[in-house]
Amino acid sequence: MRLFGVLFRLAWRNLWRNHRRTTIMLCAIAVGVWAMIFMTALTRGMVDQMIIEGIRTLPGHVQIHNPKFLDDPSISNPVSISAQQSFDDPEIVAWSSRVKVPAVISSERESRGITLLGIDPVAERHISFIKYDEVDGRFLVDSDDKGIVIGAKLANILETEIGKRVVIMSQDPDNDIADRGFRVVGLYTASTGAVEEAYAFVGRATVQKMLRIGNQTTEVVFVGDDYRDVEALYEVILDAVDDSVSVQRWYETNTYLGSMLNVMDGFVVVWIIVIFLALSFGLVNTLMMAVFERVREIGLMLALGMKPGSILGQILIESMLLLLIGLVAGNMLAWATVMSLQGGIDVSVVAEGLEMFGAASVLYPKLNVDDMILASKVVLVLGFLASLSPAWRASRYKPVEALAKVG
Amino acid sequence: MKKLCLLILVLGIFRPVSGAEERDAQTIIRDAIDHWRGLSSYTEMTMVIHRPDWERSMTMRAWTKGQDQSLVRIVEPRKDRGNGTLIDHNNMWLYSPKINRVIKVPSSMMGQSWMGSDFSNKDIARTDEIVNEYEHSILGVEIIDGVTVYEIESVPLEDAAIVWGKEVLRIRADHVILRHSFFDQDGELVKVLETVEIAEMGGRIIAKRQRMSKVDRPQEWTEISVIFVAYEVEFHDNLFTQFSLRNPRD
Repeated sequence: MRLFGVLFRLAWRNLWRNHRRTTIMLCAIAVGVWAMIFMTALTRGMVDQMIIEGIRTLPGHVQIHNPKFLDDPSISNPVSISAQQSFDDPEIVAWSSRVKVPAVISSERESRGITLLGIDPVAERHISFIKYDEVDGRFLVDSDDKGIVIGAKLANILETEIGKRVVIMSQDPDNDIADRGFRVVGLYTASTGAVEEAYAFVGRATVQKMLRIGNQTTEVVFVGDDYRDVEALYEVILDAVDDSVSVQRWYETNTYLGSMLNVMDGFVVVWIIVIFLALSFGLVNTLMMAVFERVREIGLMLALGMKPGSILGQILIESMLLLLIGLVAGNMLAWATVMSLQGGIDVSVVAEGLEMFGAASVLYPKLNVDDMILASKVVLVLGFLASLSPAWRASRYKPVEALAKVG
Repeated sequence: MKKLCLLILVLGIFRPVSGAEERDAQTIIRDAIDHWRGLSSYTEMTMVIHRPDWERSMTMRAWTKGQDQSLVRIVEPRKDRGNGTLIDHNNMWLYSPKINRVIKVPSSMMGQSWMGSDFSNKDIARTDEIVNEYEHSILGVEIIDGVTVYEIESVPLEDAAIVWGKEVLRIRADHVILRHSFFDQDGELVKVLETVEIAEMGGRIIAKRQRMSKVDRPQEWTEISVIFVAYEVEFHDNLFTQFSLRNPRD
């Protein structure tokens, strides 16, 4: 223990003997660590948003469908659970049944293919990605509402606006055309234009009448507490329904989002290692220099009876000190950056590109303690390994030769 | 094709009404349709699709029966011969001899252009049901060249599957529709179906040549001219079936 005290003191003093070099190295490590953590936080934030939004726009946390609906999402495959059945369990935060069919929307000048969602606006309030009070105009009031709410971008494409009529065309279960005029009552905005173009909302009862399907719906959506943990909710619903319907977790309904989450974890590790590799050259170089500068000194210490192991330890402690200080600085820097960017980063310049994979044009970095720990661990462990080689060389000098060296 | 024109032309009409004026508007349009179509009809016609850089012309035969059934078959050009469209009530099927398949036109395709023309599938498949989805009123009466011409405004009902803000028809007292204009919901004119030539054919005075054009693209139009028409013809019962669409007997 006393030995460690001595070595630690030697290492500490050596570190500040060439304070300029040490400071530069510390900066390099701090910036590297900052980049690891900050970029990870940024990507995490993006993926998180994509998933939350994806879950809101489409799947909810758990869904029920007719098993055939997944291959053929048409009205001929309704779900056999009626809208009246109630689900009551503490796991279920909100649930709603919808009519979801492909449809064509036309104005005087344009038509577009869309996904038409017949919803009960009251039940949907806590599931939908649309904040009702932020809708331009008004949102649907009840399931009998005769109006339609479309995305702002779709309205643009169709050259229509609030107060005008559009025509919705779809098919009834007999494959006959089912169409009806709707007056646009509201325009919603979503994080991406793709969403605004894809979904139009109408009252469930109104669309059921249009499609001549009585009270049938095509999907039932459930939302639990946390999208990361839906197993309990899944079990509850599995118990509540019979075999005639298929129950799915969100990552099964939207496999793209599901795999996104997994890819993300792998990506973080790769990213941290890549940055570290760049960093390690600087680290090894600094230690090498520190060793070469001190060849005579090391020779003297060996000659005075210090064991090679202690030399090794001293260099390693020096390197660990460097890394630790750098890590603390880098982590704090990253934390400070993320905190100062809580309001989100506006990247609308590249919004179109981001939209292609469903991300929004405002990024909210999300600091994850696990990622900070992971980055620190990687830096420490790999840094330790990288500094082994200079330390090992220093401990292997022969005192006579080392003392004779002109330095 | 007859039906095509008719239907398009016609689009208007009538809910049960109280006002005398409105009944008049309704009667005028109803008579114009009946006059044009008859109980049944057989027509030969050409359709010219004109674009700034190309023009294409087709000759076709059309059969109509009652309000809901019609069959159109292409005769010329040769490479398109046998292509057909069958409309039975609200449904529409296409047949192409090249792939030897009858295709039901899904709702997603109803807004698309019919055989590359300025008419949409929906324009063609319209039946009289749609006629009930407007409210009509007479805008004015004029006398042009000694013939009375009524101008009628038709406004779609709230939940009707019609995108137009209103449609205005000019109909002569002898039941010839002179002009059918489609307005958007801002009251701006979008497209016009205009009668270019009137002639006596098949024992009736009808619109011989009609042109559909969009206001914002004056260089593009589709013109349909009647070559021959016969009214009140007897057809085989199986004429308006998918089988007959696939297996022409003429």
